[in-house]
Amino acid sequence: MKRYLSHPFWQGAIVVVASYVAFEYVIGYVLPVIGVASAPVPSSVIVEYMLIVLVGVLLYMSADEDRWQRFREPIRATMVQPDRRTVRGILMVAFPVLIGWLAYERVKPSYAAPATLRAVHPAPPNQLTFRGETIELTGLENPLREEGSMEEHLAVGKRIYVRNCVPCHGDLLDGQGHYAPAFNPVPADFTSSGNLPQLTESYVFWRIVKGGPGLPREGTPWDSAMPAWETILEQDEIWAVILYLYDQTGFPPRTWEEEGGHE
Amino acid sequence: MRAPRGTGIVLLVLFAGTPSALAGQEDAAAAGKVVYDRWCAECHGETGQGDGSAAASMLPRPRDFTQALYQIRTTGSGQLPTDADIRFAIENGLPGTTMPGWPNLTDGEIDDLIVYLKSFSRFFGQGPAPEPLDFGSDPGGGPAAVEAGAAAYLTMLCEECHGLSGRGDGTSAPTLEDWRGLPIRAADLTEAWVLNGGSSVEDMHTRMLTGLDGTPMPSAIDAMNSGVVSPDEVWQLAHYLASLGPREMPPLRDVIRVGRAEGGLPADGGEEAWAGVEAFYFPLSGQVVQLPRNFAPAVDGLWVQGLHDGNDIALRVQWNDPSNSPDPNWDEWQNKITTALDLDGAEPIALDSVGAPTSRPPDAVLLQFPFEPPEGTDRPYFLMGDAREPVYLWTWDSETGVGAGRGRGLDSVEPLAEDPVAGEATWEEGRWTLYLRRSIEIESDGLDFAEGTPTPIAFQAWDGSSAEVGKRSSVSTWYYILLEPPASSTVVVTPLLAMLLTGAFGLVLVRRAQDRRRDG
Repeated sequence: MKRYLSHPFWQGAIVVVASYVAFEYVIGYVLPVIGVASAPVPSSVIVEYMLIVLVGVLLYMSADEDRWQRFREPIRATMVQPDRRTVRGILMVAFPVLIGWLAYERVKPSYAAPATLRAVHPAPPNQLTFRGETIELTGLENPLREEGSMEEHLAVGKRIYVRNCVPCHGDLLDGQGHYAPAFNPVPADFTSSGNLPQLTESYVFWRIVKGGPGLPREGTPWDSAMPAWETILEQDEIWAVILYLYDQTGFPPRTWEEEGGHE
Repeated sequence: MRAPRGTGIVLLVLFAGTPSALAGQEDAAAAGKVVYDRWCAECHGETGQGDGSAAASMLPRPRDFTQALYQIRTTGSGQLPTDADIRFAIENGLPGTTMPGWPNLTDGEIDDLIVYLKSFSRFFGQGPAPEPLDFGSDPGGGPAAVEAGAAAYLTMLCEECHGLSGRGDGTSAPTLEDWRGLPIRAADLTEAWVLNGGSSVEDMHTRMLTGLDGTPMPSAIDAMNSGVVSPDEVWQLAHYLASLGPREMPPLRDVIRVGRAEGGLPADGGEEAWAGVEAFYFPLSGQVVQLPRNFAPAVDGLWVQGLHDGNDIALRVQWNDPSNSPDPNWDEWQNKITTALDLDGAEPIALDSVGAPTSRPPDAVLLQFPFEPPEGTDRPYFLMGDAREPVYLWTWDSETGVGAGRGRGLDSVEPLAEDPVAGEATWEEGRWTLYLRRSIEIESDGLDFAEGTPTPIAFQAWDGSSAEVGKRSSVSTWYYILLEPPASSTVVVTPLLAMLLTGAFGLVLVRRAQDRRRDG
């Protein structure tokens, strides 16, 4: 085992295989399981990534003459040595088949939706206008934390949430409301550690006030069914529903100190 | 304000009645109240009357626990539910309503919650604990059972409410009310995934034996006792119901594949021509993005099929709607919907001097596309575009038929008179079938489809008899439609060429390496 690990050829092979596993499976399927927002990588992108990895490995191997020789040795041996005839034969068939398959994947008629690389949490603006009133977002805190009764704010927030947000984001705040199946992208899951605790309250305020239409291009504003809530709710109602979101899920909001400027 | 004299005594008497339900369970009830106030009260109301702040936008309304009328039971008609019944509804939710399942609650929390829910009504704790009915055993399914069940469907007069095809379009359907006098739909049995009590054969059999208390759905027990149907026939009926459509919501696929028609495009929406053409299901949501919102939409999904022949594209869109609007038989229903539902600021349809509605809106559906195949992933706003970027629409309503339009937002459609899109719709037994046809490329302003390129498509629907007009609609977000390109030789040639080249290259490499070794 150790013999293999210290050999440049096998090191390179391990890097290539590990990269493929990471691109194909970890990003798309493992990350969501541990609560990080992610989606499968389109196969054309994986091919590009893998080419970059291959070039990287070759560059590294050829940077040092001795390492390059050792790296080449097993390849050369497989090509020339009589006792490796079987392996050679298998590879001489397997490689062209692999390339043929990759070519087929490229040219075969595709009935899949074009890949959309959508930024789930795009960078927020520094300020926004709420029905014409300019509000600075940088450094903005939830004003309701400093005034009035928290109990009453939470009661208001819950009323607003259940009346307005439940159809999509769900009673359990898990993004599984009764209309969720009709929407693509799916409504945000507030119980995911990838959402509320990563965001300042001012960020959540921006996303609620401006909704889907207020997203920057990388957030695919034309797809999102999130209303621009400034057309329906008052500022205090939005701040109250934000308090409710954090309280009901038990997450603390991200603070401006952690943020260190803005995203 | 002072309470009138005597209130105290009445309260005392009321409370004297309740403790038996709670005897020894005060702690559990207190713990249940905490869960209830946190998760349930906003819909079901602090006092359990089903009148929470969000209730008015829901149909059916949240359960009123003070009435102890539970739909989903295993006990006889008019009886209280068992604890297990209440748990079943909490754990699984009631599909087709706004009540979700609650996997976030622990078993213990649900136990406490059940104690607290029961404390809302004096009926619990009086007399012996409710017992489940004896449901007998399923004699088994199969074609013969389904056929016998279809006969029992008529014997039991199911079609009076649920309609001959089970789509909830029976002659009594427009008149149905729940115990509060609110309009209630006869279940669409062809969409079993929205049945409140579950979609398995056992679930349906159970619901038939127990009835759904508080709704017009009766128990089959009387019919069984009087010999109208046998216990086995009710099981067979359950098998028949389960055969009416998929049990689960069809999986969502985001690209409608429009295949090339062999031997010409269908000339209409008739079953024969479209049988075997892949159908795609799209769930719709109420339009809850812009005021006035629609929190209780009538149309909850549609099926789309497509074919093309290189010159023309034909689409068939089908959706269930128990009313062929405008239909005066549904006037009462329309009036009840407008009074029962919080219309979120929408103007209710006015009534004339004899109580008839002054307008009967048509049924309608529209298909939405961008005007140009989009660059990258950019496209117009999914809710019928906006002032900056319009959408291209194929419109249909039951009064004016098929047309095309330019949409610049939900309430802004400008007809495109030149557009050659044509088609027709027929309504039969609670289902609309809309047939649309147009040339793939057109002279006038509108989308030219490109074979092999996915084109965005979205949907919107209205049920006129449910007072759905304007923004009170059902909507979808963007999906894609793709016209299958003609078979191409590149699909075979390119991979073969790539394999040959790689193989040859490999051979040369190996040969050279071996030569060098021999020479060296």
